[in-house]
This record gives sequence, structure tokens and C-alpha cells, in this order.
Amino acid sequence: MPPKTTQASSVTPVNAFQSLYKAYSDNTSDRLKFIDAFLFFLMLSGIVQFAYCILVTNFPYNAFLAGFSSTVGQFVLAASLRSQVNPENKDEFKEVSPERAFADFALGSIVLHFFVYNFLG
Amino acid sequence: MLSILPALLLALSVQASVLTLQSPRLVVTDSTGSQLRSEPLSLSHKVATPVQISGKDTLKVTFQVVDKDGKGVQPHQTFLRFYDEKTNEEGIQPIRVTPGGKAKFDLNLSKPPLSLPPTPNGDPLKVTLLIGSSLYDPLSVELFDLVLPRSQAAPEHPLESTFHPLPEIKHTFRAENKLPPKFISAVAAGVVLAPWAVLLGLWSQVAPKPSRLFSPSILPFILSLGAFEALLFRYWVGLQIGQVLLYGAILTVPTVFAGKQALSSIGNRRLGRK
Amino acid sequence: MFSLRGLLALSLVLISLANAKSSTGNSVLVVVEPTRQGDFSIFFDGLKGQGYDLTFRAPKDEVPPIIEYDEASFAHVVVLASETKNFAKDITPQSLITLLDLKTNIIVALSTKQTPLTSLAPEFSLILPPPGTPLISYFPKRDEPASVIPISPSKHDATNILSKNLAPIWFSGIPQARGNNPLLIPILHAPSQSFASEVDGGSADALVDSAEKGGEGLWAGSQLGVVTGFQTLGGSRITWLGGADVLSDEFARKEVSKGVASGNTQFARDVAAWTFQESLVLRIDKTEHHRLNETEPQELYTTNDQLVYSIYISKYNAKKSTWEPYSGLKDLQLEFTMLDPHVRTSLPSVAGTPGKYSTSFRAPDRHGVFKFVVDYKRKGWTHLHSSTTVPVVPPRHDEYPRFLSAAWPYYAGAISTSVAFFLFSAIWLAGEVREGTKRSAKSSKVE
Repeated sequence: MPPKTTQASSVTPVNAFQSLYKAYSDNTSDRLKFIDAFLFFLMLSGIVQFAYCILVTNFPYNAFLAGFSSTVGQFVLAASLRSQVNPENKDEFKEVSPERAFADFALGSIVLHFFVYNFLG
Repeated sequence: MLSILPALLLALSVQASVLTLQSPRLVVTDSTGSQLRSEPLSLSHKVATPVQISGKDTLKVTFQVVDKDGKGVQPHQTFLRFYDEKTNEEGIQPIRVTPGGKAKFDLNLSKPPLSLPPTPNGDPLKVTLLIGSSLYDPLSVELFDLVLPRSQAAPEHPLESTFHPLPEIKHTFRAENKLPPKFISAVAAGVVLAPWAVLLGLWSQVAPKPSRLFSPSILPFILSLGAFEALLFRYWVGLQIGQVLLYGAILTVPTVFAGKQALSSIGNRRLGRK
Repeated sequence: MFSLRGLLALSLVLISLANAKSSTGNSVLVVVEPTRQGDFSIFFDGLKGQGYDLTFRAPKDEVPPIIEYDEASFAHVVVLASETKNFAKDITPQSLITLLDLKTNIIVALSTKQTPLTSLAPEFSLILPPPGTPLISYFPKRDEPASVIPISPSKHDATNILSKNLAPIWFSGIPQARGNNPLLIPILHAPSQSFASEVDGGSADALVDSAEKGGEGLWAGSQLGVVTGFQTLGGSRITWLGGADVLSDEFARKEVSKGVASGNTQFARDVAAWTFQESLVLRIDKTEHHRLNETEPQELYTTNDQLVYSIYISKYNAKKSTWEPYSGLKDLQLEFTMLDPHVRTSLPSVAGTPGKYSTSFRAPDRHGVFKFVVDYKRKGWTHLHSSTTVPVVPPRHDEYPRFLSAAWPYYAGAISTSVAFFLFSAIWLAGEVREGTKRSAKSSKVE
């Protein structure tokens, strides 16, 4: 009996994950996937910097704050771009065209990078 | 009575005779009264081993002052002097002498006399008997060394220490930030760049085809965004903030125009107007 | 021509004679009973020979006033009227204190009699025995009365004030119990065998009784002083003599043993030299500070800067009446202080530059308003104090070290985000975004 349960429990999540991925991949436009890849990339590089800060050194701390917050900030900006251009949220952002959303994203990013390089030291 | 005599006999003082001590003795007893030490004192040499008293011990010094005929004399001055050579602290204790010359001095540590000098280091005190009189030659006898329990040092004026060199003070600096080995930092920098592989891999699957990259309505905006990033990078490398704000402000003007043009062009295409 | 030269030379000699030996002035007021003025002629002639202008005044005279229009009339005052009970109304304990505040130096003689000036002694941490009890000593055996005592200076006396190898000094007067006030300078101590006693009426029992009363009942032993100096915080000096006779001709001429002159004449000279600011007089000429390997001072310094501080000190040379650079201080210290001293380090003299003392140290890594403080107080010497305020600031934002290897991953992260943003934007803008086609593609896919 015990082996069976383990088998069942190990299989089910994989299946769930697979089906989830399939649903995502089927229902998401390439444009959104393009953003998602960017988000994923930002997340990874943020995690690596955080790990380096924890495991090796947090000196100079201002550089860590700048590097790490550049990925986090960029992530937030990109995520908001994604939600604004997502057709499913069209009703929510009636007033905001995708172009306007991108203009906001670009402006936000430039300002963010200004602060990042300012703090990078 | 005696007090008038010195004046009368002042002229005779030149031929004043010599005083001496009869049966001088020191006795140390403990609190129960049993004798710890008892020995005669000598006028010619002091007691070899220092006298040590502590706790509730009692030191007793007895003698009789006599002239050369053996008659008891009460001198004007009969003092015990306690002197610490290291600290230059001194205490003078007058001893009561009977008209017959008999003298007795008790030192009880449970009730020490105020004249005892402080002994903060436990150094031995030189005990000297001083006998002075206008009728006789002065007599100074070094009796013995006295070791007392350590006591508090003499009170010092709060500003006394500023009249001597003060202890040096070194500032403790915060520890220098230690840099990890360059190798580790370089590897970590490589790992930070590793997600590029993921990004490029995923984008190769899903990225839209940049077919309009060289379109005259789009390219200027892309280039001006690139210019902004280059400017900010250059700021990090070594520009002053004033320069960045100036160049940024100048760059904003074409960027706004190019952005308007590019985004309206994209918007029009999206809505199928062109 | 020759006569002019001679005149010039003569006037030079006169000037040098008239030159004050003291660093603060050469006018001396001596308050002494006219009947006793002749008793101190050796002392007075010695002062005149040194170049002092002596003015004599009987204690009851009204003129010359010691203070006029809030200004001290004399640079130094000697009060030898030790037994006088009635002074003119301008000589009071308060006026002597005022004189000290006005930088006047004073020598006061005490006696066994209680006088108005006796009450001044406790203000200087000196406790005097009851009236009528002079210091007496039966040691050593001698012909003189017990109240005339030869005293040899010991190593616990102010060896820097007194000449070396002084012959014993005749003393007659009262002792002073000295408080622990560090401004007191023991010049001459009482012999350890001496004690204060009613000279002819003192009984052995009375001594024991007074001691048993406790506290200050018995004045005896070498902890007492017979001549004690005091230097005020303002730098003026006052010397208390237990008796005026220590300056007298009689004691100066009296031999301590066959053929050996007493030390009184030289002792009087030494005491006057110290009290009148001839000896042990120092001053600070200038101080300077700068960063290591620089020469000019900065308005402010940065934390961790290596700082150099120098001070130039001169000592008064009474023989030449000039100030000379002095490198003889061995225990000068510098403090770098913000509320508390953060650094205290010795300030050694610089070989090759007379009078210069210099040290170098690293500024603390604390920012704030700091002071370079030199506060040199040693018994007998002029107190030196110098305080220079300098702000210490943290490094400016662009003075920190940059491009540290430890931060490489963070630099990589920031640049990587920038580049990725640019690529993302470029592809986003350049990519085909026709809503219609997308929709249809998507819907066809789904269907």
C-alpha cells in the first residue's frame, strides 16, 4: 500500500504541472509569452544577486540595493505592462491603449535606471 | 610644672643628657588574647622580620623612658611615626607617657587610629619612635617594619590625574570591509549573466519578428531609448549628475517626438488604419 | 662721535639693567611694618639687583593703593607684615584674591598670630594650626631654640623651583596642613620630627589629647608644609610662607653648621623667582595642523585622514629676559576630542626644531566637530592650554572607492537589466502587432 500512494502522489503533481503548462502555452499569445520570458529572466537574475548578497558579501550594500532593485523594479514595470496589454484585462484598462502602456513602461524604466546607476556607486 | 622647666633649663640644653628606653617590647595578640609574637625591641637595630598584623590582631608596644640614671622621664614629644617610603604617606601617633616615663601603645585594627597612613599597596610601614625634649638630646629609634592589610588609597582630588600624563587613548576603527576573492566575484557575476541563456532561449521561441526594426517611424525611438541607456551607463562610469540632467533633458525632446511618432504608427497599424 | 657711541653703549646698559627679570613686570609692592623693613635688606637688595622696582608701604598706609581703577598697580605684591592685625582698608583677603585675578603674584608671610589674612589660607586649601602654636622640632640636637628649625629640601619638595643642593634653610613660623588640591605646590615641607605646639606651655599630655580629638588635632610630621605655592587657574602665583623670618637677614647670615652658610638667601631668591613668573614659565607660540604630506591646514578633514599636529612652545629665560623655544617637555599630550577624547597621544619634541612638538595620527572614523586639545598642567609650571576646532566629515559621495571586485555581480545585474530592457523594447516596438491577425491566429489555434 505505501508504495502505491507515493507513486500516485508523485505522479499527480507532475500531471497537474504539465496540464497547467499546456493550458498556459495554448491560451497565451506569443506577445505575452515574450513578456513572461523577460519577467522570468529578471526573476532569475534577481535571485542570483540576492543569493550572492546572502552567501558571499553585502558590501558594498548600495551596489546590492541598486543591482537587486533594478531587477525587481524592472519586473514590476514589465508585469504592469503585461497586465495592461493583456486582452483579457481589456475592460479594466479601457482608457489605456497598449501604446500608452508601453510609453509608461519606457518612461518608468528610464527613471528607474537613472536611480539604479545613481546608487550603483 | 614640667612646662616651665624647659625655659629655665634652656641654657643647660647644651649639656643635656641622653634618654634611653627601658625594656621596650612589642607584643602581637589575636582576638582571643593569645600571644602570636612577643619580642624585645632594640635601640641599635630594628626587628629583623616585619611585624604583620591583620584582622582583629592587636599590636602592643611598651617601654619606659628613662634618663641615664634610670629615672623615669616624661618627654614633651613621644611620637610613633608610620612612614610608607613608596607613597610618601606618613602618619604621626603621639603616645601617652606617664610622669614616671611608662608608655604603652595599642594598635587595634578593628579600631585603627586616624593617624595610620593608607596602605593601598600593602607595602611595609617604617615605624620610628621619636622622643624630643628640651631637657635631653632628641632620640629617634627605628623600631620595626609594620605590614598592615591593604587599605583604600588616600582620597585624590578629582583633578589630580590631569596634572600627570593621562593614559593614551587609541580610537578603535571599524573593521575594514573585507573583499571576497576576485575569483568568486567573477564567477558570481557570470552566474548573474547566466539567465541570458534562458532569456535568449525562450525569446527565440516566442519573440515577435522584428520586421519593422528599420522602419523610419520606429527606429528613431529605439535608438533614442538606447541613447538614454548609454547616457545612464556613462553616468555611472564618470559623469556628474548635472551633466546627466542636462544631456537627459536635451535627449528628452527628440525622444518624445520619436516616441509619439513610433507609438502612433504602431497604434494605427494595430487598429488597421494603415 | 666717540662720546655718542659711549652714550649709546651706556644707554644700552641702562636698558638691560632696567629690564624686568620677570615675564610679567618688575614693579613690586612690599607691605611691611616700617620697624621691620631693615630686617629683610638682603632679600630686598637681591630683588633690586634682579631689576625689580620696590615700593614700600606700611600696612596702615592708604597709599599707594594696590588696585586703582580696577587695575592692579603692581606686578607683584609681598606681604611681610605677618603679625599686623590692622591693615588699611584696601588690603583684605578679598582684595588679594582680586589681585590674583588681575594676574598679580603674591608672597604672603604668616605668623603664629591670627591676622585678617589668616582667614585667606583656607581658600587655598591650607589649614593653619591654632594661633600661638609655632612649628617646633627637637631634632637635630642644636643650640637654637626648638622653634628655629633647619630644614633640608627633600625630593618631595618642588625640586624644579628650588636650586639643587640647597644648604639647610632656617625656618621659624607655623606649618600648614595642605589639602589635596592639585593647584598647591609644596615648596618646602616640615621635618618629619617637627610638630606644632605652644612653645613654652606645651605639655606632652596636651599633644596626646589633641591627637585623640581626631582630624586636624595634631599638626605634626612631613606631610605639613612650611612654604607652599599655589598657581591659580588664571596663571598667577601665590606663595605662603609659614613665617616671614625665612626671608630675614638674620637667618640668611646664620650658619647651619660651622662654616656652612644657610640656604636662606638662595631659597628666598628661588621662591621669588618662581612666584614672580621668572622660572617655570611657558607659553604657546603657535599651533598648526594639516594632512600628512601637506603643509597647509584644511578647513575640514575627512574621517580616516592621517593628520599632523604641531605646537611651538617657548620658555621664559629670566637671565636674558627673553622667550626661548623650549623642547624640554617630555610628557606633553595631544587629545583629539569630540565631547570625549577619541585619541590621546604623546606629543614628542621634534629633533632639530627647537620648541616644536609634533605628532601624526589617523582621524577617527566618526564625523563631527572635533578639537585638537593640548592641556598641559604640571605642578609649578605655567599651565598650557590650546584648543583648535576642526570639523571632521565623512567622505564626499564621490570619494568612496569605486568599482570594487565585491560588487561585480551587482554591476553585472544592473547592466544586464539595462541591456535586456533595451532589447525587449526594440523587439516589442519592431515586432508585428496587428491586433486582428493576432486574434485570428490565436482563435484559430484554439479552435
